[in-house]
Amino acid sequence: MEITQILFWFLSVLAVFGALMMVTSKNPVYSVLWLIVVFFAISGHYILLNAQFLAIVNIIVYAGAIMVLFLFVIMLMNLNAETEPQKNKWLKIAGVVAGCSLMLVFVAALRQSDELLKAPVSMGGETGLIKTLGKTLFTDYVLPFEISSVLFLSAMVGAVVIGKKGD
Amino acid sequence: MSIFFLLLQQELLLTAIIFVLLFVKLSTKQWNSQTVLSFVNILLVVNLAAGFFFKEKGTLFGDMFQTNDLLRFEKNILNLGTLLISLQAYNWLLKHKHAIEFYLLMLSTLLGMFFMLSSSNLLMFYVGLELASIPLAALANFDLDKKRSSEAAMKYIMSSAFASGLLLFGISLIYGMVGSVNFTDIAVAASENPLFLFGFILLIAGFGFKISAVPFHLWTADVYEGAPVAVTSYLSVISKGSMLFVMTSVLSTVFANLLFQWYNIVAVLAVLSMIVGNLFAIRQQNIKRFLAFSSISQVGFILIGMSGANIESHSSVVYFVLVYLFSNLAAFAVINVISEASGKENIDDYKGLYKTNPALTWVLAIALFSLAGIPPTAGFFGKFFLLLGGASKGNYLLIIVAALNMVISLYYYLRIIKAMFMDANETPVEKLAISWSPKISMAVCMAGIVVTGIISGAYEYIYSLLK
Repeated sequence: MEITQILFWFLSVLAVFGALMMVTSKNPVYSVLWLIVVFFAISGHYILLNAQFLAIVNIIVYAGAIMVLFLFVIMLMNLNAETEPQKNKWLKIAGVVAGCSLMLVFVAALRQSDELLKAPVSMGGETGLIKTLGKTLFTDYVLPFEISSVLFLSAMVGAVVIGKKGD
Repeated sequence: MSIFFLLLQQELLLTAIIFVLLFVKLSTKQWNSQTVLSFVNILLVVNLAAGFFFKEKGTLFGDMFQTNDLLRFEKNILNLGTLLISLQAYNWLLKHKHAIEFYLLMLSTLLGMFFMLSSSNLLMFYVGLELASIPLAALANFDLDKKRSSEAAMKYIMSSAFASGLLLFGISLIYGMVGSVNFTDIAVAASENPLFLFGFILLIAGFGFKISAVPFHLWTADVYEGAPVAVTSYLSVISKGSMLFVMTSVLSTVFANLLFQWYNIVAVLAVLSMIVGNLFAIRQQNIKRFLAFSSISQVGFILIGMSGANIESHSSVVYFVLVYLFSNLAAFAVINVISEASGKENIDDYKGLYKTNPALTWVLAIALFSLAGIPPTAGFFGKFFLLLGGASKGNYLLIIVAALNMVISLYYYLRIIKAMFMDANETPVEKLAISWSPKISMAVCMAGIVVTGIISGAYEYIYSLLK
């Protein structure tokens, strides 16, 4: 096995394990910490795919900023196992059945299609650099890029309006 | 260069209006809210009128953006609906402190819908969809001191985020199979491969959420009830209409290879939407909840038309959305006036309305007749063409179910008409003075219901655009 393959399996196992631990943890603070592990594992995958910039952004934005925000909210609200609302038993069963069915369909669909899935395109080390990314973003994808600026503007306006409720 | 501006004309004009309003808001001068609202309404009239002047078609930004006569017409329909809603909301916004923000948010969702309509790949479609749904949550929260309104916004943003997640998962699977997000590439590569089908079904789930077809409809009633009336009408007509336009064209062009699969999916969604929408509409006491379920069952009929998958059925969907826009907005105009003046939103409060407000009663009655599909109104022709389009597949069982559901829907629409004309009420809504702006909007809707029904030109015009 090559080193990249070993890394791939290591990161995949880490990501799945982290995700499972995140869902099953009783304490919400542990959940957030495990989610950070998942984000780091996924950033590792990005690096393996030569998307260095994306990996760094993923760590800075998701693992850094957003998760810290999550931690603050959870600590301020003082959530723990006692305050967690009890869910209906049937709702839980329905959720498990629905989730398992989705998983079954997905696995079955993947099993039948593996020969059709394209072999991973190996890209050069240059692909994920900011320079290449910026060039593509401002040539081929300039329209969605500009529209997302309008999206952020309107989201900001909406947030300000909701936030000004008091006066 | 000039062709660039002409192709993007509708979007650029809308963006310009958004930024003008933003600067009006940010300026240090405090504008009189009456001046501002009149100014915005004039801008919206200009925006609507400008859409009719240019006929250029083509693609821009290397297949990111496309436009043609049909898309221009669909955008004009949405512009008209937005203008009518803006007129209806006039009195409510006059008292509201954040009137300009209301327009900023509403027009940016409209811009998102335009880009969604004009998208020729899944990336643009997704960006447009997000722009069309995130500001809507803030709009649903616009009755700032009411708890119900915040609840509506919360429910909308949560379920909308979940639907976007499903949609993105579907898009990523399709991208993984095809290696491209372009509609033309996807149309060529569409196959009955299980993984592709899985992605496709997730995509339909995303569509189904936005048009609130039945298994994806659970957010509808609560959000419609809690949101301000103007936003409810925007959600039920403009947001839904734009998604129906996109869904019809995407299913019939991009996924033409998977016709058999999506025909069955759409047929099941249609039957479920009609039956569940109708059965729940019968039980409602709040008129906004009532119209929410009525709009769910209308979507069922539209899906029947969509399942035809030919030019006739495509034009029947566009025609019905136009008719639905007039009928539903006429109903919402009356509800808006009454709710604004008296705060009453229950069907029981509408009892005896004819004694005090005969004009409003007639407007609401004609709108409900049109929604029910009773002959002289446009709603009849709209439903007739939809069923005709659906019948072209030869699945008459589906058409029979639809016809039966039309009978059920007649019952609950007539129930409101009976309440207004016949039932006695000790405390009816007092006589209301209606100001000019809702009057104009009601007059346009009434004219629309009559004209698009009696004069066959509208359907033929849409048909000619598609050919």
